[in-house]
Amino acid sequence: MIKTAKLNRRDFLEIGSAGVATIIAGNVLLPTSAQGATQGKDEAYPMVDVGPLSGLQVGAAVEFSYPDENSPAVMIHLGETAKGGIGPDNAIVAYSTLCTHKGCPVEYHPERKMLICPCHWSTFDVAKAGGVVIGQASQPLPQIKLRLKNGQIQAYGVDGLIYGRHTNIL
Amino acid sequence: MVQVPLPPKNAKRLNTVCQFCIVGCGYNVYRWPEGKDGGPAPSDNALGVDYRAQLDAFDDWIAPSMHSVVTDKDGSRHNIVIKPDNDCVVNKGLASVRGGGLAQTLYSPDRATRDRLQAPMLKGPRGHKAISWDEATDLGSRVIKAVIDHWGPDAVGMKFFDHGGGGGGFENNWAVGRFFFTGVGTRAASIHNRPAYNSEVHASGDAGVATLNNSYVDAQLADTIVVIGANPYETQTNYFLNHMALNLQGDTLDLKKSTFGDEPFESGRMIIIDPRRTMTVATAESAAGKDNVLHLQIEPGTDIAAINAISRIILDKRWYDVSFVNRSTERQTFEAYQRSSLDTDQSLDNMVRQSAELCGIPEADLYKAAQWIAKPKKGGLRRRALLHYEKGLIWGLKNYEGVASVINLALLSGNIGRPGTGASRLGGHQEGYIRPPYPGGRPALNVDEAVRRGEVKCFWVGGCNPVLTTMNAETMEQTMIERGRPVQEAIDETKDRPMGERVARIVEALKAGGMFLMTQDIYMTATAKQAHLVLPAAQWGESELTSINGERRLRLYDRFMDPPGEAIPDWEIMARYARRIRTLYLEDENPLMANRFLDFDWRKPEDVFIHARYEFKGNSSDPAEGYSGVTYDFLRERGTNGIQTPTRIVNGIISGTPRIHSDGKFSTSSGRARFIPASLPWPSYAGQVAEQRKKHRFWINNGRTNHIWQTFYHHQRVPFYNDHNPVPYIEMHAGDAQEMGVASGDLVEIFNDVGTVRALAYITDAVKPGHTFMLFGHPRGSVGDLISDHVDPKTTIPYYKGAWADIRRIGPKPDFAKDLSFLPQNVSE
Repeated sequence: MIKTAKLNRRDFLEIGSAGVATIIAGNVLLPTSAQGATQGKDEAYPMVDVGPLSGLQVGAAVEFSYPDENSPAVMIHLGETAKGGIGPDNAIVAYSTLCTHKGCPVEYHPERKMLICPCHWSTFDVAKAGGVVIGQASQPLPQIKLRLKNGQIQAYGVDGLIYGRHTNIL
Repeated sequence: MVQVPLPPKNAKRLNTVCQFCIVGCGYNVYRWPEGKDGGPAPSDNALGVDYRAQLDAFDDWIAPSMHSVVTDKDGSRHNIVIKPDNDCVVNKGLASVRGGGLAQTLYSPDRATRDRLQAPMLKGPRGHKAISWDEATDLGSRVIKAVIDHWGPDAVGMKFFDHGGGGGGFENNWAVGRFFFTGVGTRAASIHNRPAYNSEVHASGDAGVATLNNSYVDAQLADTIVVIGANPYETQTNYFLNHMALNLQGDTLDLKKSTFGDEPFESGRMIIIDPRRTMTVATAESAAGKDNVLHLQIEPGTDIAAINAISRIILDKRWYDVSFVNRSTERQTFEAYQRSSLDTDQSLDNMVRQSAELCGIPEADLYKAAQWIAKPKKGGLRRRALLHYEKGLIWGLKNYEGVASVINLALLSGNIGRPGTGASRLGGHQEGYIRPPYPGGRPALNVDEAVRRGEVKCFWVGGCNPVLTTMNAETMEQTMIERGRPVQEAIDETKDRPMGERVARIVEALKAGGMFLMTQDIYMTATAKQAHLVLPAAQWGESELTSINGERRLRLYDRFMDPPGEAIPDWEIMARYARRIRTLYLEDENPLMANRFLDFDWRKPEDVFIHARYEFKGNSSDPAEGYSGVTYDFLRERGTNGIQTPTRIVNGIISGTPRIHSDGKFSTSSGRARFIPASLPWPSYAGQVAEQRKKHRFWINNGRTNHIWQTFYHHQRVPFYNDHNPVPYIEMHAGDAQEMGVASGDLVEIFNDVGTVRALAYITDAVKPGHTFMLFGHPRGSVGDLISDHVDPKTTIPYYKGAWADIRRIGPKPDFAKDLSFLPQNVSE
């Protein structure tokens, strides 16, 4: 299932059933189901060492490729809790750096906690699963799944479809 | 793992245009049966693209949002991909965030769009219940006939779409107009977003200036683009990205060279008049450099003062276009304009100082703006400025004077009809309007008031949702409930009785103050919920339609799927009712009335298109949307580039019109444009608005944003968009928020003498202290509940942007908001 921007399906169900309805107003819709794309084969993603946890400073942005060398990505130590993050305060996250609008490489702006596309100015929230803050991208930046093993940060999967591919493993 | 299916070689390829904003980007639609996907090798897919390797930037990527599976009436399932067209000159392969998700808005039993209206429904004691089209048509027609017979045609009220794109187009607009104006003959008509049947730009029409007079390429050629009360990065996205931003970045210098030759030119500059620092300001600065962008961050309603001050500077500095004014404008109006709007009895310094104070901006910025718009270039050549305005001005303090101030400035500076110039509204919806003339006068009847006063006995609402969007919206809903009740009793009491008896009982209820409410729409909107009779309409992609965009580009939008259930296009609904009413009048031996409902025997959308075309002559008497000679086949040939209206037939050849007024002629009896003088350089806040402003601390500005189209009707059903703005928010200045102990995400209540609404606080530097901003028409909290029923008396256009209210904190950020982003939406670097 494709990740939705900032709320997962379970969160949405909760809103639908209680939160919004009572707090804001009526007219709350029933939960929606996933967007159009279909589930492909669950191919095994490669396991890739991104780097050691030790020495990774707050604000660091480490470039790497995942799941193959033609797919640029960045690992960021945000310094605060981020959705899907690992390490201290769950602050370390990684994203594909190909903008999901037209495929330009997004740039990390640590002071803004955003990834910003210089072509058409789509902006993505590093703490919120790469959700679109504003701009023309019609899906979040794919988040690279990270885990810690023996002090090493490893990439082991991707949430969302990477720009320029019909499936993440070509 | 997520995977997007690829269209096979034999996928059906059709053309369409985005259903949403005025820009009208071109899209290709691919359709093929489920399970018959193409392959990644170029020879195995319809795009001929090698999907075995990573694509480069700007290649033909199919984002997951561009695909969905639809089900036709026969139960067959088909993949649909809707992808921006690389060959369309409007968007050159770019999608906005809205257009990139068009496929997600299609009806599908698998997704939240499953709740489309699928059958006509009559409201009963336990809610709405499906009935047949025949029964629905008979009931509604008999009620309408009875209302005309008892109270006259003006007792049949209507509020309908009048636009192009999804839910509109030439076909549907013509059918609605034929029904209500030729058939019923009512003056109690109103347009979807306002209380009356009126132009939003009467002042432009009165000046003789076409509303959409430039071509989009003019934004690539202009020395200066002026954006007034609009936010094109967010809401006219690909006009901004593919035309304006290219100019600001210097990417159109070659085009300028080939067009202008030796005339001096540089990269474009931009002036933005907006109370907010929007993403348009930020991205324009990124594109042009800060020095080439001038943002006039004005106080509410003072745009008129700013524009008139700029014009006054141009006049006094002798930067105005003397030869254009002499040749193409009516002299006496020019003189009246100088004395009144430009206040020439006062010194320039005084006039500009007063305006700058009112606007809350430096005087120097007004001088700079005047320079950028009109100071002649080297060699005395005219500067080319393209002036665009939209709802900030149109729904501003005084509609008529606001629009007039811009048109006057364009006439004064000669910025109209030449390459790189123009004075057009930027637009909201697309256009596609042709109807028989409205039988009422000007100012038009305020239908919202006629509904409240009980004069409207049958109210038919089509493709709009006034319970959410009209001013004083809660009162509209209350009126529908109260006046609907006696009619509901009549319907319930006569269940299973013959139709004649039923209608007689309904008429009794109408006599007792009741109102019969009909709605036709695609979803069960807040308004439809109140309706006695609900009619299911087909949407974009389910029937062919034609529309024009902001540069009058006429295209054919192909049909690529079935409408759900028994839904039919709006034109067909109108035709059914017209034919039934005609029969009823014939049975009544009233041929005079019966003949008003003649000629509704259309079989297909093109029949309606051609029927409407008889209004045009193919010469200079045609309106700007005239499409003489054009057929569906002609448009099909031209794909997503279509032809720019008005069309002319010369030697049997149909030719388009990229730019209007290029001959220096205007649509007045003299052929010269008229300056529209106002009584003062700034009209000041009117009666109840002034009162509200005194009573309440915050200005509640409101408008559209990047992600959400109009009332959210589709987007609340698509997770990506819904999750972006699941509930209303209110932008607040950090200083104001701190003083009130409000943090981003906190729940606040906004309240005034009209109503209340709740929202999440969103702290941003986009707004000045004392200013706020909310989404227009959020279904879970409508700013319409705060807006007074004040209108510009000259045009019956509301001051939708003019609400003042107080704010109180209700509580901390609710749990459901924990994953929402509160990062700034106005930074681009």
